Amino acid sequence: MLQIDRIRPTYFDPSTCERSEVWLQRIEVEPGERIQIQAPSGSGKTSLTHFLFGLRKEYVGSVRYEEVDLRSMNPDTLADLRREKLAIVFQDMRLFTEPTLRANFEIKRQLTDHHPESLIDEWARRLGIDHRLDTPAKLCSYGEQQRASVIRALLQPFRWLLLDEPFSHLDDANARKAMDLILEESDRQGAALLLSDLEIVPHYPRTRLLRLQA
Amino acid sequence: MKQPAFHIIKPLLLTGEWSSSRWFSYIGLGIGVLLLLLSLQLFIDIQALVKQTSIRKNGFDYISVTKQITNDNMGLDNRFSPTDLDILRQQPFIQGVAPLISNRFEVVATAGDQIPFASDIFLEALETDFIDTVPPGFDWKPGQPIVPLIFSSDFLEMYNVFAPSYGLPHLSMETASNVIIGLRCEGQKGEQVYRGQIVAFSDRINSLLVPKSFLDWANIELEGLPSANASRVYIKTKDANSADLLNFLARKNYRINKEKTAFGRSKQILQGVIAGLGVFGVLVVGLALLLFSFYLQLMVARSRDNLQLLLTIGYRPDWLSRQVARRFIPVYFLVIGVAMALTQLLQYLFHQVIMFNRPELSSWLHPSVWATAVLLAGLSVMTNWRMVKKLLYGIA
Repeated sequence: MLQIDRIRPTYFDPSTCERSEVWLQRIEVEPGERIQIQAPSGSGKTSLTHFLFGLRKEYVGSVRYEEVDLRSMNPDTLADLRREKLAIVFQDMRLFTEPTLRANFEIKRQLTDHHPESLIDEWARRLGIDHRLDTPAKLCSYGEQQRASVIRALLQPFRWLLLDEPFSHLDDANARKAMDLILEESDRQGAALLLSDLEIVPHYPRTRLLRLQA
Repeated sequence: MKQPAFHIIKPLLLTGEWSSSRWFSYIGLGIGVLLLLLSLQLFIDIQALVKQTSIRKNGFDYISVTKQITNDNMGLDNRFSPTDLDILRQQPFIQGVAPLISNRFEVVATAGDQIPFASDIFLEALETDFIDTVPPGFDWKPGQPIVPLIFSSDFLEMYNVFAPSYGLPHLSMETASNVIIGLRCEGQKGEQVYRGQIVAFSDRINSLLVPKSFLDWANIELEGLPSANASRVYIKTKDANSADLLNFLARKNYRINKEKTAFGRSKQILQGVIAGLGVFGVLVVGLALLLFSFYLQLMVARSRDNLQLLLTIGYRPDWLSRQVARRFIPVYFLVIGVAMALTQLLQYLFHQVIMFNRPELSSWLHPSVWATAVLLAGLSVMTNWRMVKKLLYGIA
């Protein structure tokens, strides 16, 4: 279980968090849950994702994965968590720019060997980027990079998947394809989803809606 | 847990692999290790070469002093009286005085059947503290048939010079040590025959030394007289080249054997220079490792984004640092191996070409040089690994 216990960015005044359904709240995320965090610009959406992923620590309160405080983990334990249980799709994609998309996928896939190599081609075909597999990431469009970022996140075992505006560069049709793949794989793994976006994502079958700034 | 393959992520990390600072550090490490190993081996070689000729013992110089024989004092008793010895002992720059007492009876030495040699000789004795090479058991008790002898290596050299003219064989130190010397001692009160055996060679004392207990006993037993005043005394001093000592000896009209002390000083200076070379080698090794750390920092700084992303997607910093550090191990071993091979080659040439007739030296490197090379290799690998680890955990 993921427990978010009354967290607040240290650089936010507590009074600004009073009406938030996330900041300073106790939230427990059960397996299989699909949470949507709706957050306008500047409300700390990306900060929240980074706090939950252990990239930043400028917050009060605690984030616990299976009862272990994220901040108490050393770099190796944190790496283990990210490799085996916690996946992410970054808003800014964060692909290796020089290697090809295929190399980007393989760098992630070989870490756990959870999926066969052939799955890369299948998923790339489903999301319409199979023709770009051997192209360096830096030469791909934002839309292609975003789809690649989704595939990379799914190429590992996970119990929680953090999605930070995962469809911001995609048209509706491509967003639906990506969403279907995410739901299919998270269902298969019985994982919980935490999707943050500026607006409510219409085709996301959420189980809970949390407004970061009500 | 399955270990990921490094070759897939290698292109992400080793940007600037052919950086010049890396090669400078390898060359520096090679030169440093070579200097260090070479100076260690030379230090050991010098120790072996001067082991038998060491004039200094326990940090002191031991020098022989005699009274200067001039036309004026030729007919007088030029031996050291107890008063002379006391005056010597009272000087602040003299830490010890030992008279070289001699036999008062006649001694004829023979070398047995194999070497047809017989000669009148003299025997002397000195306190063991003043002898440079005292083997264990250099002692004599009444009734003991064999008298241990310490022979001057200069005498052996002299013997080898004139031996062919007398139809006598050349003798090495080892052979001379195996020859049983007949000692026929004859005095007013009787005659005794002993067997003498050379147990050590001395470079400091130009004499044929026997245990003091033997000479004290034999002088009374054979001649009926105690050991007489000595013509030569040995003094123990912290610095044989001290101006105070030399002035005092000149004032007293005493003569000293300067050549021996000069040799002792040269050895000290030589060892000092080599030790300095070794220290320089250590510094160069240190600088090379420092330069390599700059290279690593540069490499990590250049690949920082990629490294950070690898850690973000689940690569362990522990695994990454081991993988990165392992890339450099073969080069380190190669560099140290080449330095080792060069040291071995130089030692071989040194022994075979320059010091070809010195059995106390070896053509092969001393085990401690090997141990040092292994230690340096281990140190380089450890330093490198720790450095990579520190840098990677720094960005994790």
